[in-house]
This record gives sequence, structure tokens and C-alpha cells, in this order.
Amino acid sequence: MSLTSKNHSSTTADDSSEYSSQHFLGSFLQTLKDVFSDKGVLLLLMIAPIIYGFFYPWPYSTEVVNHVPVGIVDNDNSNLSRTIVRYASASPQLDTQRFLSEQEAKAAIWSDDIAGYMVIPSGLEQQVMSGKEASVSVLGNGGYFLLNKNVQTGFLKAVSTVSAGIEIKKNVAQGAYLATAAANTQAVPLKIIPLYNQTEGYGAYVVPAVSILILQQTLLMSTAMLVGTWYEQRRHRASVRGWLGRIAALSTFGFMTGCFYYGWAFELHHYARGQNMIGSLLFLLLFCPTVATLGCVLGLWFRQRERSMQLLIFSSLPMFFVSGYPWPAYQLPEFLQIIRWLIPTTPAINTSVQLNQMGASLSQVALGFYALAGLWVLYFMLLMLIRWYDCVQQRKALL
Amino acid sequence: MSLTKLSGAFIRSAAYERRFLTKNPWDLSMVVWLPLITVLMIWWIFSQTQITDLPIGVMDQDNGPVANTAVRYLEASPTLTVRQLYYSDTEAQAAILQRDVYAIVVIPENFSRNILSGKSAPLILRVNAQYGTHSGIIQTSVQAVAGTLSAGVEIQRLVKKGMSPAQAAIAYSPIKIQRISLFNAATNYQQFLASTVIPALLHILAMVIGATTIGRELRDKNLGHWYRFIDKNKSGHKIVEPASILVILFGLLGKYFWPTVAYSVWAMLALWLATPQTSIAIGSIVITYIGLILLMMLSFWLGAIFTLGAFSLRMGLSSTAFISAPSYAFAGVTFPYIAISDSAKHWSDALPLTHYLKLHIAQLQMQAPVAVSLPIVYGLTLATVIAMVLTALLTKRALAHPERWGAR
Repeated sequence: MSLTSKNHSSTTADDSSEYSSQHFLGSFLQTLKDVFSDKGVLLLLMIAPIIYGFFYPWPYSTEVVNHVPVGIVDNDNSNLSRTIVRYASASPQLDTQRFLSEQEAKAAIWSDDIAGYMVIPSGLEQQVMSGKEASVSVLGNGGYFLLNKNVQTGFLKAVSTVSAGIEIKKNVAQGAYLATAAANTQAVPLKIIPLYNQTEGYGAYVVPAVSILILQQTLLMSTAMLVGTWYEQRRHRASVRGWLGRIAALSTFGFMTGCFYYGWAFELHHYARGQNMIGSLLFLLLFCPTVATLGCVLGLWFRQRERSMQLLIFSSLPMFFVSGYPWPAYQLPEFLQIIRWLIPTTPAINTSVQLNQMGASLSQVALGFYALAGLWVLYFMLLMLIRWYDCVQQRKALL
Repeated sequence: MSLTKLSGAFIRSAAYERRFLTKNPWDLSMVVWLPLITVLMIWWIFSQTQITDLPIGVMDQDNGPVANTAVRYLEASPTLTVRQLYYSDTEAQAAILQRDVYAIVVIPENFSRNILSGKSAPLILRVNAQYGTHSGIIQTSVQAVAGTLSAGVEIQRLVKKGMSPAQAAIAYSPIKIQRISLFNAATNYQQFLASTVIPALLHILAMVIGATTIGRELRDKNLGHWYRFIDKNKSGHKIVEPASILVILFGLLGKYFWPTVAYSVWAMLALWLATPQTSIAIGSIVITYIGLILLMMLSFWLGAIFTLGAFSLRMGLSSTAFISAPSYAFAGVTFPYIAISDSAKHWSDALPLTHYLKLHIAQLQMQAPVAVSLPIVYGLTLATVIAMVLTALLTKRALAHPERWGAR
């Protein structure tokens, strides 16, 4: 390969641009050169993904939501209610604060000072002691899902503990052994074993998936920017092998970004990672050319340097929501369930997470690989179609 | 400076922009079609507002009567669906890895016998915690099933001892907990996600428009042409004296007139979708609408500032992408603000979207009194005015440096 390239460059030294768009290696090298001499493309292709690798996980670095500020309105003021308050304030999930009335607590919710509150009605202790039905109310803010869950479970645990204590005391008083009585309070306890993301961190859940989206978007925009710039300079025409060389060069950058995420960024933030490293690398080898090819198609369609950014910046969030990762895909309207497969991240996010975070085998993610390969073929055919149309137009213009 | 001259600058600039938009379908689509499709699509994505039927598997190693009840309860839960029964660990593991199911409920050996002999009999839930949304919902639902089973077993046991069922229920759980979700009680994801994601996307699109509307004049070296067009001097087209800041300001308002009109309509559409049948005070809707319009205008000016500051449309768009695209992650909706790391909170506070969404949720979902959110409206107004003046000043600077026009 290198020998033939030398021959060619010596024989047709004057026509190096012609050479570079006709042959694989020449086109590959020319593309690398163009990337490094174009600040805008380089910023998007290499620097932006690295910055995002630190920037995006930043808000989630605490990972688990704890010490949620909540309010307690104690209208009973009894020994029992004080016990409940004590247990609630001991909970690591909650950060309690007393309010004199529900009105005050509600105002605090509106101004985002607290995320929810518990109301202990007056007469609670009396009702419990006399064996009547008694209850406390926990009011969470349904506007924020994750906070609401914390408020509910935090208070639930505190009250259940107190409640169980009363039940045990009564059972023991009725002649049961303390140990049997304690076991009986929850006949069917649930033991939860979280797999893969064992600490159940929020960043560890969302960042590995978003990284694949960032990789796609930066590679897509920079490729389309480069091809759009070539179009403006009338340098976009190339042979089939020339296009393959361009795609290979641009994929190389994407591959390196992917390795940076898998090898360094995930490690730095202690996310589950590297469960099937060879599978992950094979995935990148397929994913990056697929995205780069789509970028070439878009570049030829947009035909202008800045347009890819103009049109693609906003698309990340919708693409993430239809990928099936944060929101179950079968919940989507049927039409979206079909067209979402035209986007590389649709198979890519799940495949990457299954390989890198969960450690699936290649055969277990075969569907994702077939989908990506199918997309690559589709995009490449589109690219060739545009190339053919362009040739026809050029010939017409010459005649 | 006469008022007619300023209004002339405004009108001429708007006419200039109208001519450009009618001739450039890509740019027109950024103002009209793309935001319209985006708003409707996001709403459509979450049209099934609740997550139901998450697939789970069951490994029943007990096969006793209580185990069968447990499986029936799991199947009855609306958020779960029992996809399959598994008989070996490897089978179950493979199903999770292939994402056929997101969790396996293991019913251990001797489960029924332990219950009947009064011992504690745990259920085991192995859940794919990598898929956070799925995992959270599955955990809550299976926990509820375990709770129902426990209560049933306990109450039956007490009834056998001779208590009445009502008494037994009280004795089982002396203090009941009434769980009340204030606002959005049905955990409606369309209300929670779609209604907040739409303003975030309009914010991104508006910043892109802010960058391109002024940035393309810089790129095409047309900024001077534009200024001469809006400031028609009687003395001919050669301007000797420096550009007037007031003419620039009114010219800019004219230049951004069409996007402002269009995004006022999209903002209305977004709020119309976000305020369903539930009765929301008209004052709340009005203040949210004002807030959203201010956010849109602020986004235009911010996009323009980044472009003019760098003398480059491309850099303006890069900064826009960097600031606006991840801003939803920092806004404290999906991951709560109070849990955001302290250093990242400063960044979150600096983003206009964070403040708008706080207002949006307080007014439309929590139905807070209007007064609670007034400071946010004042803040957004102040920021918009400052950004507008800054844009005019930077435009004046850009007009004075024609040698820097044309950067790509």
C-alpha cells in the first residue's frame, strides 16, 4: 500500500489533490491533515468530547440523593410523636425541620426550601394506645420525582420502625417471645440486590449512556462541518475508495474518544465499566464508521460549514429519549418506535451499556451489531447515491 | 435622535430580515418548522404518560401455595409484567444481559414452609440497576407486593389467634401512613418530563437563532451593509461618524423581530400543552408565559453575545452548544438541585434555564401563588435588558473592526 502510494505521488506530484480524493490511503491522510489544520473541526471532534467527559458528570458527582430537607408538623406533641420526629431526623435520607402549621410548610415547598413534609395529627398517641386506627400523613412534592421518592421512603422507614416497636411491645405483652415477635413484624421482607450499578448512583446510570450520545453528536457535527467546508471549496468529490478513506480517518478520531470514555472518564468517576472490553472495542469499530458516514451524508446535504451545528445542537435530547434507555421504548407511539431505528444511538446506547457496564457477550448483543451494520450500509448507499447524482449534474454542466 | 429615525431603523431591519428568511429555507426552518416539530414530538414521545408493564422474570424455587400467590400479585401489579419463569441462574442471568427482563424475583426454597411456621421468609429481587428509571419503578412495585403479602400473612395469623379482621389490621400496623403526592399526584411523566424538556429545547433553538441571525452577517462580511441599510443617511452611504448605539439597538430589535414573534407562538403552544384540564389560575399562566418569553429573548441575545464576542459564527455556535445543550442536566429537574455538587451549583445558578424551570414547576405544577415567582421574573427581565445592551455594544465594536469580518 505504502509502496504504491509513493509511486503515485512521485508520478503525479502536481496533481496531489486529485490523488488524495481517489485512493484510500491518500484520502485518509489528507483528511487527517484537513482536520488538524481546521480549528473548528478539531475543537468539535477532539476537544469538545474531552471537556464533556468532565463537564457532564459534574452535577452528579454526589451520585446519591441524601439529606433531603423536609418539614414536620407535629400537632400531637406526645411521647409517641416526639419518638417519630426523633427517628425521622436520624434518617440519613432526610434533613428535618419543624413547622408550626401546614400552611407554613406548604409555603416552604413553594419556595423550594423543603421537598415535602409529614403531618402528625393531634390525638395520635391516644388512638394508638387505645388500639384504634391511627395514621400520619406524608406529603411529597410530585413535581420532582426523585425527591418525592426520597421523602416518601425516608418517612416511611422512620414511622414503620416506631410502628413495629409498638407492635412488638404488644405482642410481647401478650406472651410472645421477643425474637419471634420481631421476626413477625415483616413476614415477607424484600432483599434487593442491585446489579451492575451497585451503588445505584445517578451519574453511574445516566453518564455511560450519554457519553455514547456525546460521541455521536460531536463526530456527526464535526464530520458534516468538514464535508460542508469541502463542498464550499468544491473539494468534496471523491471516488468510492476516497470516501472510504475519509470515513476511516474520521472514525479514527471517534474511536479514540470512545477509548477515552471507556478507559479513563468512566474510571475517574468510578462507574461500572470494562465488563467486556473486547466487545466494547468491537462496538466502537462499528459505531464510529456508521456515525462518520451519516456525517458525510449530512455534510453533502447541508453544503455549508456552520449548518450542521445550527441544525443538530438541539437534537441530542430527543434522540436520547427515543433511544430506549431513560424511557422504555415500548411506551413510545408506534410510529416513533420504528423511525427511531434510523438513528445510530438507538442500537448503540443499549449495546454499549450492555457490553461495557453489564458485561454481556457478543452474541447477547448481536441484534445491536446487526442494526448498526444495517445503518452503515444504508448511510453508505445514500452517500453513493448523492455522489452519483453529483456526477450526473457535473457532466450535465460540462455538456 | 428622532423617534422616526429609530422606528425607521427597526422597520428597515425587519424588512431586511424578512427578505432573507423568505430566500433561505434552512434559516426559515429554524424559526418555524424545527421548533414546531420539536414541541409536538416531545409531547408525543411522552403521550403514554405512565410507565406500565416493565418486563420481569420469576425464579420460583419453592412452588408452594404462598409462592403462587406472590407470582399472582406480581402479575397483578400494573407497572410490572411477568415475562417468563426461569429455572436456572444462568438462564435468568442471560435474560437480564439481553434485556429480555429488567429484574428477577427469586422465591427461595422453603418460602411457603417458613411462612406457615411463623419464620421470616424473604423474597429476593435482583434488579438491573444500570437502567435507573426501570429499576426504580420495579423496586417500588415489588416492595409493594412484598408489603401486601406480609400484611396478608400477619393478619391471617392474628385472626387465627382469635382477633377480628379489623382489629388484626390495626394490630399489624398501629400507625398507618397516608402517602400523599402534592401536585402531579398521578406521577404523570408528560407533566414531569415533557413539559420541562420543551422549554429547554426552545432555549437551545433560540440561542442558535441568536447566534446565526447576527453571525451570518459577520461571516458573509455583510454587517456594514446591514448597518448602512437600516441607517439611511441623507448624506449618502459612506458613514464617517461612528455607528449610533440607539440605531443599532432598534436595528437589532428589528432583526430579531420575526424570531421573537415565532417563538412567542411556540411558547404559547408549549404552555397550552403543559396546562391540561386541571384548573390553573390565570395569573400563574400569565407569569409563566412572561417568564418563557423572557427566556427566549435572553437566549437570542446570549447567542448573539457569544458570536459577536468571538467575531465568529462558528465559535458562537460552539459556545451555544456547550452552554445550552447540557443545561437541562444542570437545571435540577431530573436530578434534584439540592443534590447537585456544590461547585456545579454555581454553574447551575448561572444558567437562565434553571431559574425559568423553577418558575415553571412552581406555577404550573405546584400551583404556588404568583408572588413566590416574581423575583425570578425580575431577574430574567434584568438579565434580558443587560444582554440586549451588551449585544448592541458588541455590534458597535464589530462594526468598527471590518478587518475581522469573514472569520469561519
